[in-house]
Amino acid sequence: MKGIFSVLVENKEGVLSAISGLFARRGYNIDSLAVGETDDRSVSSMTIVSTGDQRTIDQIEKQLNKKVDVIKVRRLDEAKSISLEMMLVKVSCTPANRSSLIELCQITGAKIMKVSPKFLLLEYHAEPEGVEDFIDLIKSYGILDIQRTGTISLSKT
Amino acid sequence: MTGAEAMVKCLEAEGITRVFGYPGVAIAPFYEGLYNSSIEHVLVRQEQNAGHAASGYARLSRKPAVCCVTSGPGATNLITALATCYADSIPIIAISGQVSSELLGRDVFQEADMTGATRSFVKHSYLVKDPDDLPRIFKEAFYIASTGRKGPVLIDVPIDVQNKKLSREFKYPDEVNMRGYKPEVKVNLQQIKKVVAALDKAKKPLICAGGGVILGDGEEHIRAFCEKFNIPVVSTMMGIGVMPKKHPLYFGMLGNNGKPYANKAVGRSDLLIIVGARLADRAIPKPENLVRRVGVIHIDIDTAEIGKNMGPTIPLVGDVKDIFEALMEQEIPVADQSWIDELEEVKHSTVDPRVFSDKLVNPNLLVQMLSEKMDDNAVYVADVGQNQLWSADNYVMKNGRFMTTGGMGTMGYSIPAAMGAKMYDPSVQAVAVCGDGSFQMSMNELATIRVNQVPVKVLVMKNRFLGLVREYQYNTYDSHYSGVRLYDWPRYDKIAEAYEMPFFSCSHDADLEKTLDEFLACPDACLMVCDVDSEDRVK
Ligand SMILES: Cc1ncc(C[n+]2csc(CCOP(=O)(O)OP(=O)(O)O)c2C)c(N)n1
Repeated sequence: MKGIFSVLVENKEGVLSAISGLFARRGYNIDSLAVGETDDRSVSSMTIVSTGDQRTIDQIEKQLNKKVDVIKVRRLDEAKSISLEMMLVKVSCTPANRSSLIELCQITGAKIMKVSPKFLLLEYHAEPEGVEDFIDLIKSYGILDIQRTGTISLSKT
Repeated sequence: MTGAEAMVKCLEAEGITRVFGYPGVAIAPFYEGLYNSSIEHVLVRQEQNAGHAASGYARLSRKPAVCCVTSGPGATNLITALATCYADSIPIIAISGQVSSELLGRDVFQEADMTGATRSFVKHSYLVKDPDDLPRIFKEAFYIASTGRKGPVLIDVPIDVQNKKLSREFKYPDEVNMRGYKPEVKVNLQQIKKVVAALDKAKKPLICAGGGVILGDGEEHIRAFCEKFNIPVVSTMMGIGVMPKKHPLYFGMLGNNGKPYANKAVGRSDLLIIVGARLADRAIPKPENLVRRVGVIHIDIDTAEIGKNMGPTIPLVGDVKDIFEALMEQEIPVADQSWIDELEEVKHSTVDPRVFSDKLVNPNLLVQMLSEKMDDNAVYVADVGQNQLWSADNYVMKNGRFMTTGGMGTMGYSIPAAMGAKMYDPSVQAVAVCGDGSFQMSMNELATIRVNQVPVKVLVMKNRFLGLVREYQYNTYDSHYSGVRLYDWPRYDKIAEAYEMPFFSCSHDADLEKTLDEFLACPDACLMVCDVDSEDRVK
């Protein structure tokens, strides 16, 4: 199963490595990890997505809670939260297939950030599965470079 | 006031009167601070033993104890002791010197990334950047080490921070304020009701007491509870000491190396009440299987322990004393005497299939006789190996303490830990019992014992082998004894002579009583060696 954790931590050096070290040491997966400051500069917010069986996901929550620098852990229910991921991608294209790629962008809502003779640089954001679907769609053109932010999530309530 | 002076003041504010350590340049300002204070510094002979000594001190005092080391190799030498305290949940504060802040990360002489290296072996750690933070950090460190699930906390202090002056007047905080650490848990009355309901239905309840009971000062509570409701008790290795050996409701240590009848008791019970034990692989090899057969109540201060090694249970999180105070007030049926009778029956019908050599000293007899003869409130520190398992199996707990490292199993623990305990309370008899291998891992501390006149008794079970590994090779590798021979050196009498300590030795059961009497009567630190047959086994 998938576990989405929204974690508030002290914004101090060493905290990110303490958290990632916890996952490494206990053999938990990190599918994605996104970190940023909050409105309170002394607090950072992380969204961590992991997969494992029920016991592992429960343990992750408890082990995160044990860390002194972890202020709050919330486990997000996929159905009751909004998750988004953003990516930047360079898609190769030729004069012949450029217009079909542009059309694809219009349909999917991907934004064209730069046009060059050999590629388009696109920005796309969606819920994580949508990002995967979009990648499938553009694969046939040839992906030259790609950067993904990892999932960020907030509960709807 | 400099940072170093502030560090000393913080220790004084915490009531620390003694620290165990080993200096170097990177911690020298702090040592200058110690020089000018009333805190006694005990110079050990290797940093790991400063940590073990602090562990023994903390276990007996039931409060955090302090050790201090220099940067680089001094700090890395300490890591094994930190890992040992972490595995055994022992509260110590480790202070390490560090290279100057502006040199951090440049791999200069004697720099080791201590906070990074110890991340998975400490409960929490600090790299101090500003001397003004020291009072807060020390206050937090002592609080973190000694509350919730206890454990070691590291404070790494660069030399420039020790030398720099505080920009404001020193004030030790009265309280801590950490957003991310709130160890107090209120007993959940809803859960207490579930526990009571389970006990109501149970015909064969059994308490399994772990080291957490002792760490939570809950021995009296468990004894009172089991007596009130007539519930039998088994313990893990770390839980030895929760119950006196001869208590009618006590059925020994469970696990791989425990009493077969304790394991049978677990198998036959219909409700297992685990208190302060993580039930690692050595205690119950396949805990998942248990859950299917019996109901399980798991009581622990650490939520993460519940369900970590074992499937669904009735969890009850909190302080052992609070929980058992609450449970004492509940209406719980007194368990039927027939269950106790059944366990008695099992106990008496279980025969020990092992045969011990009669040529040399029988280790079972040795431990029984020694612990029977020791003072009521004595401290017995068992090392690691066959000797540890024989100790755990035969130790006669009266009203004292049995200490060992059940979680990490670090050879060489017993001598420094017994020294630490004895230094905390000189009125208590303290005996370290070790193998000839483990003795040699920390025999250098005989100097510390000698110099500081700490009358610790050290008893070596000499079988000329790394016995437990040899036994494993006997069982698993067709007696291919690889790398386990210790032979006959050192000459123990000469070792004792070198440290000017009284020496006792015994090679036959017939002489055992007399020699033990002399050994225990000796007012000074002393060494005793018992020859044990290398063929004697724990299983
Ligand atoms: C520091 C350390 N190194 C290695 C081991 C592995 N080990 C466990 S028991 C043991 C043998 C201990 O030998 P000895 O102290 O002579 O005790 P005996 O088993 O003979 O009683 C060893 C090597 C360990 N537990 N700790």
